[in-house]
Amino acid sequence: MESRKPVVPIYSAEKIALRIDALGAQIAQDYQGLDLRMVTVLKGGMFFLSDLCRAADLPLRIDFMAVSSYGAGSPGVVRITKDLDDSIENAHVLVVEDIVDTGLTLSYVLKMLRARNPSSLKVCTLFDKDVRRIVEPVITYSGFRVSDKFLVGYGLDFMGKYRNLPDVFSLEDLRTDN
Amino acid sequence: MSFTMTQPISQSADNEPGRSIEQIKFAHPSERIAAEILEFYQIRWEYEPTVFPLEWDGNGNVVASFSPDFYLPDLDLYIELTTMSQKLVTKKNRKVRRVRELYPDINIKIFYQRDFRNLLMKYGITPEHIGGGEFIEAENGRG
Repeated sequence: MESRKPVVPIYSAEKIALRIDALGAQIAQDYQGLDLRMVTVLKGGMFFLSDLCRAADLPLRIDFMAVSSYGAGSPGVVRITKDLDDSIENAHVLVVEDIVDTGLTLSYVLKMLRARNPSSLKVCTLFDKDVRRIVEPVITYSGFRVSDKFLVGYGLDFMGKYRNLPDVFSLEDLRTDN
Repeated sequence: MSFTMTQPISQSADNEPGRSIEQIKFAHPSERIAAEILEFYQIRWEYEPTVFPLEWDGNGNVVASFSPDFYLPDLDLYIELTTMSQKLVTKKNRKVRRVRELYPDINIKIFYQRDFRNLLMKYGITPEHIGGGEFIEAENGRG
């Protein structure tokens, strides 16, 4: 095996874990005594949700949904490809996102969820990249505000790959290394 | 036309709201992709609906103006795409700055080549899908 110079992550697994612990503690405090549902959009958000729900010391429930993504020449409009398993009516819903970029997907998801009459609907994102924001959803909990780098790892992908990296890297750095 | 005050001009031409993407003559292939993305996410948009006069001659005739690529009525937001050379970007930046000075109440966002390229990479779209000459020069990575 050829030796390669190690690529320095933008956000190490340790740094991410520390931030998630802090977010979890804050969420546990804010949702004390409430019926909290943490909902994430597959696939990227599952890694963050998995750690965040364990960092929040609450008897919460989790659920997943998936939406179609735009692709070149995609006909039609965005749609739900996997819906939540449970009703969220009268529940306190926290949408857990790996990254909010343009806000287009998130705004669609929030619109869909809002129509189901939850008691409250808030957003927690690990990475908040607002340089290309088009729609401005209210983000209540944010892990890191990130610059305009294409991040991969910890759920973030490029063409479906790299989600499983425990650290978060700049794709550019990874490619240069390869 | 002559204007003596800063007043945006509605431009109906052949880009009226309600026209489909196929019916609109986009100035650049990247604009068509942007329209498709907005359509996909059910964000209402209009293509170049407004002209903002920027400079006038002594007789009040408009001698320089700017028409942002998109207007998103539900967000009250104008969007300008720049998928071109840095030299032209500088010129466009100057125009956008002037628009903000003359029309402080409007919201306008400029998407630079890198912004847009990275957005497309997120959707797995490569420069080849677009075919715009300037865009093909795009470098690797989301930035």
